[in-house]
Amino acid sequence: MPLTTIMHLLQFTDSTFPVGTFSFSNGLETASFENIVHDARTLEEFTRSQAYQAAFSDGVAALHVHRAYLRGDYGTIAHADRYLLMFKMNAEARLMLRRMGKKLAELSMRLFPENEMIGKWLEEINSETVPGTYPVAQGLAFAVAGIDEKSLFSSHQYGIINMVLSAALRCVKVSHYDTQRILFKLASDADSMYDQAKEMDLEEMHAFYPQLDILASLHEKGNMRMFMN
Amino acid sequence: MGFDYQLGHKTSSVPDVDFSDSREMKPYDTKPKAMYVGAPGKYGYLRMGFEIDPRGKCILRDLDRRVPLIAQQALYFDEEMPDMPCVYILSNSGQNMEGDRYRQDITLREGAFAFVSTGAATKVAEMNCNYAGMVQNIILEKDAYLEYLPEPMIPCRNSRYISKTSLVVDPTATVTYSEIYMAGRKYYKEGELYKFDILSVCCTGSRPDGEELFREKFVIQPEKENPRNLGIMGSFDVFANVIVMTPRDKADEIYAATDAFIDRDKKLAAGITRLPNDAGLLYKVIGMETGPVKKLVREFCSRVRMTVKGVPIPEEFPWR
Repeated sequence: MPLTTIMHLLQFTDSTFPVGTFSFSNGLETASFENIVHDARTLEEFTRSQAYQAAFSDGVAALHVHRAYLRGDYGTIAHADRYLLMFKMNAEARLMLRRMGKKLAELSMRLFPENEMIGKWLEEINSETVPGTYPVAQGLAFAVAGIDEKSLFSSHQYGIINMVLSAALRCVKVSHYDTQRILFKLASDADSMYDQAKEMDLEEMHAFYPQLDILASLHEKGNMRMFMN
Repeated sequence: MGFDYQLGHKTSSVPDVDFSDSREMKPYDTKPKAMYVGAPGKYGYLRMGFEIDPRGKCILRDLDRRVPLIAQQALYFDEEMPDMPCVYILSNSGQNMEGDRYRQDITLREGAFAFVSTGAATKVAEMNCNYAGMVQNIILEKDAYLEYLPEPMIPCRNSRYISKTSLVVDPTATVTYSEIYMAGRKYYKEGELYKFDILSVCCTGSRPDGEELFREKFVIQPEKENPRNLGIMGSFDVFANVIVMTPRDKADEIYAATDAFIDRDKKLAAGITRLPNDAGLLYKVIGMETGPVKKLVREFCSRVRMTVKGVPIPEEFPWR
């Protein structure tokens, strides 16, 4: 991969990339309040479940969009966007995906002002023809920047894990050493996850995380609001 | 895989039950050593159609079935809704066996209302080849109302099970569709929890004009990802998933009246959220035993009935 492309990969993956990841905890705020996540071990398990959940849903959609862009297939991009939203059972998760998706779409228009497909997609987000989810925005941005799909998947996984771990520094009694060790360790699952996710059709997206769903519901119905979810 | 049954001069076609597009079941798609896939007695079919008769009573107008699925007749035992037909789906197979393929089609015509359950928990038997599967198509026309609250499912060691359910619901209708899964035979020998091979469950919701609203799919493969992990089931053994498709104003009322909680003493937790595209609500419960989980599901269903029909669900029979 050319150095310029690697630089773009790092830019899109950086936690300061302005799409609002810092506002979300993916249920960690409630898990911490309920003392379900209270140390490095429980944080690692919680984060692993989040990573797996995202890999076989959001990750699959991002890969499909990346491939669709490369073959100029806007229909599949819009379909993947609607399909992913239809699959997301948790209302706050849908809110997160749409907010971050729209932010990345707007940012992508600044980075790739001549790109017609991103322009069309943003128009359809604004007219509420498509929901505008984040994995779709990632798939598009990475494809336009010439970053390959394996790098897209790793960036997506890194983003999820890092989002949870960054939130953990604000609401769980763990240190930077703990979170960096967890991030380093969970990276070892990414290859096997990609090998499975790359073969999956959109219809095969699946998720079974009842504890995460209940934590998300507690947050949705509760008053805690350090994070958006 | 559809075939005709010939009974004397009568021939009736049984619809296909095909899971060939479900990649997760491919590793188990081996030929059963005993009766073949879809053999008579292993290819259950049940069609039930409910409608309002000229006197205003809701009746089970249409009934067709193939063994091992059995629905005898509608009973009218609900004291709060005495005009509501209540049907228990039974099976004379005992357990869902390898190579079993079932299909259930339930239709509620305009304004119809019904309660459907199963007679007892459904066991998915131990398997060493192939798998069991069920397709369900549930259709609710304008202003129809259905409570579908089957008893729990128990997946035994090495069992493989797939189900695909389609809910086609008019925007004015309400369905409460519940599924309860145990981790396995908890009290069998030294305990048999999360020893099954695969459980693949998919439920879609749509409108009669074809508009797709949601698609929930979960695939549990304990060998691949341990359900005991934090975030999945943790230390819990029973999981209930209740889908309610209902108009937005009813959903708002039910949502507001339903608590999300984690009760450490009772080892019970529940959560509620809104389905995508204003389709309704999704209620999830996890617990240690089926009793308390069933009770919560029933209370939730009662809240739905109270909101939509203005009456609660009666106390459960003591033998259930």
